[in-house]
This record gives sequence, structure tokens and C-alpha cells, in this order.
Amino acid sequence: MSLVPIYRPRPSPLHAAGAGSTTALCVSLALVCALYDHPVVVVAVIAAVAGAGLAAGVGSEIASAARLSVPLALLVTVINPLVYAEGNTLLIRGGSVLGHRFDITLEALAAGGLAGLRVAAFVMPFALFAACVDPDELLRSLRRVSYRSALTAALATRLVPVLARDATRMGDAARCRPHPPGRLAVARAALSGSLERAVDVAAALEVRGYSAGRRAARVRRSPSRHDVRVLAAAAAVACAAVAGKLAGAGSVEVYPRLEVGLGPAELTLSALLLLAAALPFAGRSARLGVARA
Amino acid sequence: MPEPVVSATGFNYRYPEAQGPALRELDLELAEGSFTVLAGSSGSGKSTLLRALCGLVPHFHGGDASGELTVGGLSVREHGPAELAAVCGTVFQDPEAQVVMGGVRSELALALEHRGEPAAAVARAVEEVALAMGVAHLLDRRTETLSGGELQRVAIAAALVGRPALLLLDEPTSQLDPVAGDELIWLLRRLNEEWGTAVVLAEHRLERCLPAADRVVAIERGAVACDAPPAEFLAWAAAEGGALATPVARMFSLAGLGPVPATVKEARESLRGAGLAEVGAPAAEPSPEPPASRLPWRRERRGTAALKARDLWLEIEDGPRVLAGVDLRFEPGEKVALMGRNGAGKSTLLRLFKGLQQPTRGRLERAGGVALLLQNPGDYLVHDHAAEEAGEPALAAAGLAGRGQAHPRDLSGGERQRLALEVVLSGGPCAAVLLDEPTRGMGRRHKDALAERIGDLAAHGAAVVVATHDTEFAATFADRVVLMGPGTVIADGQPAQVLAGGWHFSTDVARTLGGAGGALTPAQGARLLARELVG
Repeated sequence: MSLVPIYRPRPSPLHAAGAGSTTALCVSLALVCALYDHPVVVVAVIAAVAGAGLAAGVGSEIASAARLSVPLALLVTVINPLVYAEGNTLLIRGGSVLGHRFDITLEALAAGGLAGLRVAAFVMPFALFAACVDPDELLRSLRRVSYRSALTAALATRLVPVLARDATRMGDAARCRPHPPGRLAVARAALSGSLERAVDVAAALEVRGYSAGRRAARVRRSPSRHDVRVLAAAAAVACAAVAGKLAGAGSVEVYPRLEVGLGPAELTLSALLLLAAALPFAGRSARLGVARA
Repeated sequence: MPEPVVSATGFNYRYPEAQGPALRELDLELAEGSFTVLAGSSGSGKSTLLRALCGLVPHFHGGDASGELTVGGLSVREHGPAELAAVCGTVFQDPEAQVVMGGVRSELALALEHRGEPAAAVARAVEEVALAMGVAHLLDRRTETLSGGELQRVAIAAALVGRPALLLLDEPTSQLDPVAGDELIWLLRRLNEEWGTAVVLAEHRLERCLPAADRVVAIERGAVACDAPPAEFLAWAAAEGGALATPVARMFSLAGLGPVPATVKEARESLRGAGLAEVGAPAAEPSPEPPASRLPWRRERRGTAALKARDLWLEIEDGPRVLAGVDLRFEPGEKVALMGRNGAGKSTLLRLFKGLQQPTRGRLERAGGVALLLQNPGDYLVHDHAAEEAGEPALAAAGLAGRGQAHPRDLSGGERQRLALEVVLSGGPCAAVLLDEPTRGMGRRHKDALAERIGDLAAHGAAVVVATHDTEFAATFADRVVLMGPGTVIADGQPAQVLAGGWHFSTDVARTLGGAGGALTPAQGARLLARELVG
């Protein structure tokens, strides 16, 4: 199982919808993480993505990405109280190093925890995107807007597992040496190998007319029933998030005292997020016989 | 007389910062619809010529070019790869490095989309090329799920989707097993005949592709050394010392027979003409030797084995069964060729013996250290200077004395191979030395040198096990051949027993002689023919 989710066609509404529609849903869920640091709302985003991932058949990929985000979240949680000494509730009185006091407060620890939770939540919509959106289709839809950027993204997606395999191979070769070289030497060689591979790919693109610079033909595709539902879910999530923010929902005060408001606004917003994420999968028309490639 | 699709007059090219030219005074004309094989030893300039034909030289690699080289009427000095892409499709050696997109359908469509073709035209071209190349069933697959052979076919289909007049291929069979390699060559011949696409194919294994070729261009030190139909080329190669001659041509040359045949069929006809029909006829009955399976002479050995596997299984969780109850024993000083098609489990078996992977069931015994050289020798070379990889004695053993300051990536493929082998052997004497596909992309001279090194290692008591698809090489060095089916050993015996009676896993000499006398190598075949002629 790769740490970074890789797209594979599956019979699910998120896979069957166009790349643009599913991307819109993932972006709208990421927008909620950008707008809110309220723990209930952030947990609702995590739950919404996890539910959508499970329903789309990519639960293990999402779980794998979540596991990857845990160390990062913990790091943020631990570092924050070491950097910020604000807050009224002193937990540990540390010493002074180079004129900086290392006091650990409950508020700084809580702020670190909230920031860590938010980091973890941010990873989730992108994991859903990587697992459910066909990069080739996304490239095609973005070709007329920014072809080179889209191609770079598609290539990066394609080359991540290839480079991971290269690095594994080099690690195996190092283990075969009677006196294995240091990890740094292997990592440096792997990096230089990846640059060589990048040159090979560039050559391959050149001989297939990459620099001809012709404007790609427009590809029109009628929206399917899945597109409608997924886009509706994306719009619902985005509208609820923006409206909630304008209405002052999800306010969190950390310093000098931790104050997390929990009222009908936060609960309604969280429920809306969960319902919107479930929308693409609801009803008989969401069922699929065969996956669209 | 058809118009030439390629025309070169006094073309020269030198890579940036290189001391000498890679191509020199090249004069060449290739007709439309021709099938040309580029022959030459490693570093002779074959790949550079292909890169010049597709415009990467000089536009992508830089360097200095002079003289004239036109492809489809376009000068490669004036037109870059993107313009030449309308005339020629290019397939490199490693399909993994040239597949760009995640899905097969998108991969095939890419070149036409770069040209701005309408969506309907792209869809139709993709469908047609997929059917022609036999990859229609792969259209909805992800590229990372394809096997090496499938990926190579997809890469060729992607190069052909725009119906180019010329298809360039750089050692396309080097990563394929004999079955997939043969299939690919004949597929190319069919496309050449039915679509009229001119094919230029650089290959080391000439015996595989000469039967499909109209002509052969031999490149030596960047210049055309021979440009002739296959039979004339083989006569030239035999006269030049045989480094580029096919095994059958070498056999005829050693036996003093002529004319030199280009194919096994021609060789048989020639033998019939010389009154040696019974030698060249396909064996009507199986070899008098027992069928090559578990041979009693192996079981009789009771000393300490260098390597031993008992009831070895490897089953991937939620995946296929890779090895299923393999029993093998390798004796000290034994030289073993481990053969079988791609996916048979050869590389996995070597990794298990080395301890890079653990079996799910079964027992492994090693009498001492095990050295393993994996498929990509470059993976072993992680320092900036060759001298940092191994000491001076190892450099000398690799034939690189005095080149310690060279960057390993600046060494040729053969030099890297030799250096990597010395790196894995630098820990002192080993009970076993395992080599995984060491002859990929290697010319005959380097193969002979490797066979000699294998002989040295075995003479010092190591069991040498070489996983290879190269039957000719196996016949040269091995005193035992283990043939694997999917996850199991299906034949195990002396080379003459395993390789003489086969078809795909057989040498050209054995095919020509119908397995007679167990002759596998040109020298053995020539001795047999000489005996018959005298008789």
C-alpha cells in the first residue's frame, strides 16, 4: 500500500463523476479546513471525508494518508507550546534558555492540538482527491487553461510510485554490498537517479511533440447524474462553510483563556458537511454497475 | 525506387564536452517501408544515431552537428523533435521511462493531443492503433499495473498512433523474455508490411531480429561499417572476426560452410544442400537422454551444498503465488543458468537466497556469504568516484585500473556492470554468487568476458547462479540449466539436455541442428558438422 493514494478506477459515484466535479468537492472540503479551526467542525470534515472515502471504496487509501498525517499533527501539537508561552493556565514552569522562557501553558498546548487536528484534516480531502480523481482526465480538462502545470501535476502523480520503486531498488542494492554505504549516500544517489529519470521523461515528451505548442482541441462532455450530485455536494459544502463563517459560527479563542463555543450553528454546520458528503452516494440513482474508466 | 525516408550525407555529431565525435561522416539512405536493423557493439553509436533521427540530437542533448541528415524530408539540424514527431515515432529501451500518463488510453492519445487533433480523430486513432498492436484489452488499465511486455507494446502503440512513416526502436526486447521478444519482432514486421512503416531497430541480439530485417547497418566508432542485406552482412561480420555474427553464422563459418545463412530456415536448407539433411532435420524422436527434470546425477551429491532450498514458498498477501514448493541445491563450483519467462520467479528466488526477502514457507541453507548483483548495476554505484566504490584491486579486476577518478555514471554499461560485480564481491570469498540478468544490452565481447569471470569465480569454489533470458549466453557459461515455470522448477539438467530440445528456451544452433548431438554453441555445432562432413 502506497503512502500517497494512487488513483485506480472503481465503481463509485466519486470515480464516475468527472474529474472537475470530484475535484470541486475535495476543494470545498479543504476550504472548510482553511476557514475553521473549531474542533467539532474540523472533526466533521475528517468524518465526512472518511465516510465518502469508505463509500467510494478507497477507505484503506484514506486511512493510510491519515496515518501519514498523524506524526505531522503530533509535531505541530508538541512544538506550539514550546514556541508560544501565552495563556493563563500554566502547566509546567520551564527554565530560561538564551533569554527565552519555556513555560508550557494549557492554552498553548490546546492551540497546538487544534492546529495539529487541522493539519490532519487538511490532508484528508487531498487524499480523497488523489484516490478518486483520474489525473489524466484532470489534465485533459485543464489543458486549455494551463497545460504545462497540469502536465507537471500528472507526471508527478505518475512518477511518484516509479521513483519510490527506484529508491527501494537502490536500498536493496546497498544491502547487497558487503559494506553498505551510509543512508545519505544512497539518498543522494537516489536523488541523482530521479533527475536522470526526469531527463529521460523529458526526452520522451519531446519526441511525442510536447514542444509543438499546439492548442489542444476542446473536449465537450455532458454532465452525468453523478456530476450533478457531486457538484451539488461541493456547492452545499462551500456555501455552508462561507455562510457559517459570515454568521460567526465556529469561533475559537485560545489566548489568554481557551474558549470553544459550541452552539446550534457549529452543530448545524457539521451536520450539513456530513450530509453533503453523503449526497453523491444517496439514493438508487447513485448505484453503479461498472466503473467508468 | 521509393523515396528515402532517411538520408544522411557526411553527418557528424559530437556530444557536449566529449573529446571525439559520436557519429562521423555518416552516409546512409533508408527506403520508405524498409525494415533496418542497426548492429554494433556497446558504445558504437547506434543509440546516438537513433537520437539524431528523432531530433533529440542535437536539439535536446546539445553538442555540435555538421553535414546533412534528413528524416521524411526534414533536416534534423533545422527541425526539432516536435516537428520530426510527425514523421517518426520513437521507442526507447526502458518503457518505464517513456510512459507519461496514468492510463493507457490517455497515453496513446497524448501525441495526437499535442498536435491539437480533434477529439474524434484522436479517439479513432487510439482505437485503431490499440487493435493493431493487440493492446485493445489494456485501454482502460492503469499503466503502473502493466507487465514489462505490455508496457513495451503500449509504448510502441503510443509511438505509432500518429501513423509515422518511420519507427525508431532502441533495443526494445532487452527487458523481455524470449517469448515476448520474438512476438514483438514479428509484430513489428507485420506492421512494417501492412502499414508500410519503415522500421529502424537497434539490437544486440541479432539472431532474434535478422529474420525480419530487409537490411542491416553496422555502426563502428560512429561510422557505417557495413550496409547490406542480412546474408551479406553476416558474411562481412564473419570475415571481421564474428563479433557481430549470429551463432548460426559463426557455426557455418567455423565449419567452413557457405553461404552464411541469415535465418534458421535458410541454415537448414543450406545443410540439406550440403548433404547434411539428417543433421539439420527436426528431431523426429525425443533426445535419447532422459527428459530433463530432476536428474538423478544431481541427487547423488551428498557434500555440503553452497545453497539449498527445500519446499520454498512465497505467497504475497492478497496477491499471486510467486514460488510454490521449490527444491533446489547448488554445489560449490557449479555454474548454473536459471531460466524461465518473465514472472516465473527467477529474480525472487535470487532475492530469497540473498535474504532480501523472506519465504512464507520452506527452508533455506547457505554455506557462507552470498553475493547478489541485481538487474541494474547503476543502483550499486552511489559515490562520486569509481575509486570510492571499491579499492584499487577491485578496480583492476573490473578492468578499470587508472579510472578511479571517473564518475560511475560516466562509465559505459559494461564497465558499470563489471564495477558493480567487483563491489558485491569485495567482502571476500563467497559460497555463492548470484547474478540477475547481467547481459542486458551487452555485446558479445562483454558477454565472453563475463563468462570468463564466472568461470574464475566457480574455479575458486563459489556456486554461480545466473538468472538470464539469454540462451546463447547460458550455453556458453553454464554446466547446469534450471528452467522455471510460474513459481516452480520444470526442468533441471545439463545445458544440452534442457536447451537442445526446446524451442523458445533453446539456442539457434540447437534449433538449426534439431537438437542433434546436444550441440548448443557455434563451436559445438561446427564440430558436429565437421564430423558429419568427414563421415
